[in-house]
Amino acid sequence: MATTNATIDLASDITDSSLAVSNTTELNTAGTSTGVNTMTSVTKVLSSTNQVDLIATGSVSTTHAYVYINNPSDDETLYFNITIGNAGGGSATDTEEIGRLYGGDWMWFPWDVDDDICITPSTSDDMTVEYMVFS
Amino acid sequence: MATTATLTLASTDIAGDPVNVSKVATLTKAGSTNDLDQSSGLSRVHLRSTTNKVLLAANAEGDNLAAKVYVINKSDDASLYVTITINAQTIGKLYGGDFMFMPWSQTDTSASIEVAATNWTSSTGDIPVEYALFHEDTDFLTNA
Repeated sequence: MATTNATIDLASDITDSSLAVSNTTELNTAGTSTGVNTMTSVTKVLSSTNQVDLIATGSVSTTHAYVYINNPSDDETLYFNITIGNAGGGSATDTEEIGRLYGGDWMWFPWDVDDDICITPSTSDDMTVEYMVFS
Repeated sequence: MATTATLTLASTDIAGDPVNVSKVATLTKAGSTNDLDQSSGLSRVHLRSTTNKVLLAANAEGDNLAAKVYVINKSDDASLYVTITINAQTIGKLYGGDFMFMPWSQTDTSASIEVAATNWTSSTGDIPVEYALFHEDTDFLTNA
């Protein structure tokens, strides 16, 4: 099995005493110390403000995965609305909004592969999204 | 005031060639280059409830504003997990050592981030969870 590590470093001086957090975790299959062995890496260009499935449950064969999504845009006003549920024919139905990824933002989270991860661009101009799935 | 979040993904053997991804985000207010200026600081709780408990209460005033959430399961036991939920929608499970970092749209007061120590038992011991919120909502505490 493969060995894959994810490390997060947070540094903030918002508070008077600065915050510095650093943690590394090995990506394992659910509840084990066995490393994940599958990786998907995709770059997509979206050209509509319709909500669409970005990562469908059928693309992963396990019930536990790790997801990285990145908005590589240099424009801080352009964002993707990330939701979880099932995109309904291009309309925002039956989904729960997680949050907005503005230009330069990324997110990393565990996914239970019960519902699709959906995305809605803020503009119909071409917007690039990058994502990786480890399972 | 600046806050940066850096994610590094590294593997030498999950693919034919080494994987090394490193991405830095500077946390800013929605749609601007102004830094986020409010933080909960780093908090720690010990979970022993198998049912959902509110970790971060949503404030509808935060809708369309920027907020970033960091959560980590600090358990040393790889089998113990914390289920992360928003408005009854399960996002995923954080097993021992796992972390998450995501934007949070507080679409309404139902969009609280909830956690459950789903497979906790009296013999497993508590599951320590640490979390931090970085945000711009000036009235955040009014809904606490």
